[in-house]
Amino acid sequence: MSRGNPTSSSLTPTDDALITAIRSGDERALAHLYRLHWPMVSHFVLQNSGTEDDAQDVYQEGVMVFYEKVRDGSLELSCQIKTYLYAVCRRVWLKRLTSKSRFGVRLVDDEEHGPYLNTGAEEDLLAAEEQDRRFDTMSEALNHLGEPCRSLIEGFYLLDKSMQDLTAEFGYTNADNAKNQKYKCLVRLKKLFFTHYKEESI
Amino acid sequence: MMTEADYYALFEAYAHGELAGPARANFEARLAADPALALRYADFTELTGTLRAYGQRQNTRQKLQGLHAAMLAAETPEEQSTEAAAEKSPLTHTVNPMLRISRTERVLREFWNGHRATMGVAASVAVLAVFATLLGLEWWRAAKTQPSMYGYTVLKREVERIKKSQKDLTLTLNQFGRPGTTPPTAKESSGTGFALTSEGYLVTSYHVIQGADSVLVEGNDRKRYHAEPVYSDVKHDLAILRITDKRFTGFGRLPYAIKAGQADLGERVYTLGYPREDVVYGEGALSARSGFQGDTAFYQVSIPVNPGNSGGPLLDERGNLIGVVSGRQNDAQSAAFATKSSYLVRLVDSLAATKPAVPYHLPRYGQLAGSARPQQLKKLKDYVFVVKVFE
Repeated sequence: MSRGNPTSSSLTPTDDALITAIRSGDERALAHLYRLHWPMVSHFVLQNSGTEDDAQDVYQEGVMVFYEKVRDGSLELSCQIKTYLYAVCRRVWLKRLTSKSRFGVRLVDDEEHGPYLNTGAEEDLLAAEEQDRRFDTMSEALNHLGEPCRSLIEGFYLLDKSMQDLTAEFGYTNADNAKNQKYKCLVRLKKLFFTHYKEESI
Repeated sequence: MMTEADYYALFEAYAHGELAGPARANFEARLAADPALALRYADFTELTGTLRAYGQRQNTRQKLQGLHAAMLAAETPEEQSTEAAAEKSPLTHTVNPMLRISRTERVLREFWNGHRATMGVAASVAVLAVFATLLGLEWWRAAKTQPSMYGYTVLKREVERIKKSQKDLTLTLNQFGRPGTTPPTAKESSGTGFALTSEGYLVTSYHVIQGADSVLVEGNDRKRYHAEPVYSDVKHDLAILRITDKRFTGFGRLPYAIKAGQADLGERVYTLGYPREDVVYGEGALSARSGFQGDTAFYQVSIPVNPGNSGGPLLDERGNLIGVVSGRQNDAQSAAFATKSSYLVRLVDSLAATKPAVPYHLPRYGQLAGSARPQQLKKLKDYVFVVKVFE
């Protein structure tokens, strides 16, 4: 992609096309993107005392940030996707290394990936981390919710099942009963979620 | 009274656009008027929003993992095919050994990748520590030996200084007594020598006359004679001198005999010498029949000797000459060394065989046996000389 126009630091036509395709939910475009940049990140992580599994984790984290921004439509790229991904993954890996190591960490960078600073990756990553924290709290709250509330909520909101399916699955006499049960569960979840979330943010 | 769950039903209906026109307007008006309701609604949207985003995140994660697995799966068939090819031709293993990395090796590689920086630092620290220790030890040893060397030189200077002041004193006394004598001004050193034959041959140590310009021999009676080196045996530290003065008439009969055999361990021995301006007597025992570092041409004797004693005669109880004092060991207590007289006899024999102008007549019989030590010394001191060397 960037090979065709290596001097340009802004978006190349293929980058643009990719983003548009991914935004419209094209799985093949995402797969293409994923495959395209994997060697770069994998090489980077392996070079900086990581394992193959570490590389996979880091790369998926990076692509996740990118992908969610693209789906939101809130992505403002000032550089190539490649550079953006490199910056995000570099940042993620640096964080993990620092938390693991007692010493200061020095990363070995590939020069060819250019200026990875000021790509906006930092802020995006911070936002993503905030989001992560929120999700962690949610997962915690769901764990505390107990059955059948948890399955009900997860079924409806996470797995996008229809109320009719859930009614049948959980053996409620009609959809209204299921709905009422769901609302009650939602109230309990809300209490769990907000107490945890607010506590943690203080 | 609405329960919270009822509110949620309402919220959801509103969010999904299921509320009909008037009900919707009514709800929006209440939302605007009632802050508590607005807050509750905000909480509701955040909760459901987070739940849905969470679901999406899990979806995406699965999708990405699927992508990764698919990507790996797309790569593996190639590897499998290469492996299959490799199995067909066993040579490929050596050509591309990376294909088969054992589990242990992979673990080792990971370990190396993860810790090579630390290991590098550790290795360099170890190397530094080793060298620092070695250097430190060396330095410490050097520092430790320094004082003894220092003490040694100081001691030597002290001796030299005492010698000098002693000499000055003697000279003053000499001049007071005999104002005619003038001390020689050239650089001089001195040792001891003793008569070898009555014809005027003397023996001293080679190192005494080493580099000599002229040699002066002075007896106990203050008579001075010029002498010249006749022969030097560097290996056994022996030198033979001959008095060349015209007025020299001969020593007369020598009181001691020169022993051709070896002396025994533990014999009581003594020496006369000139470490200062006066003759000094030193006594001890023959403590070893070999010299410094096992040199069999020498005896070791336990006589305290000083610079100036070199070349002095070493005699046994019966007054036989058994050696020539040569040197001492610095780091041992009163370990002096003397050349064995047998070497001197052999040397004289070989010299006599060359038919020199003045023949050698070694004294055959001593006159000292049986007399007391003071009597022995009285006779002996006339045959022991200061050998002054001018360079």
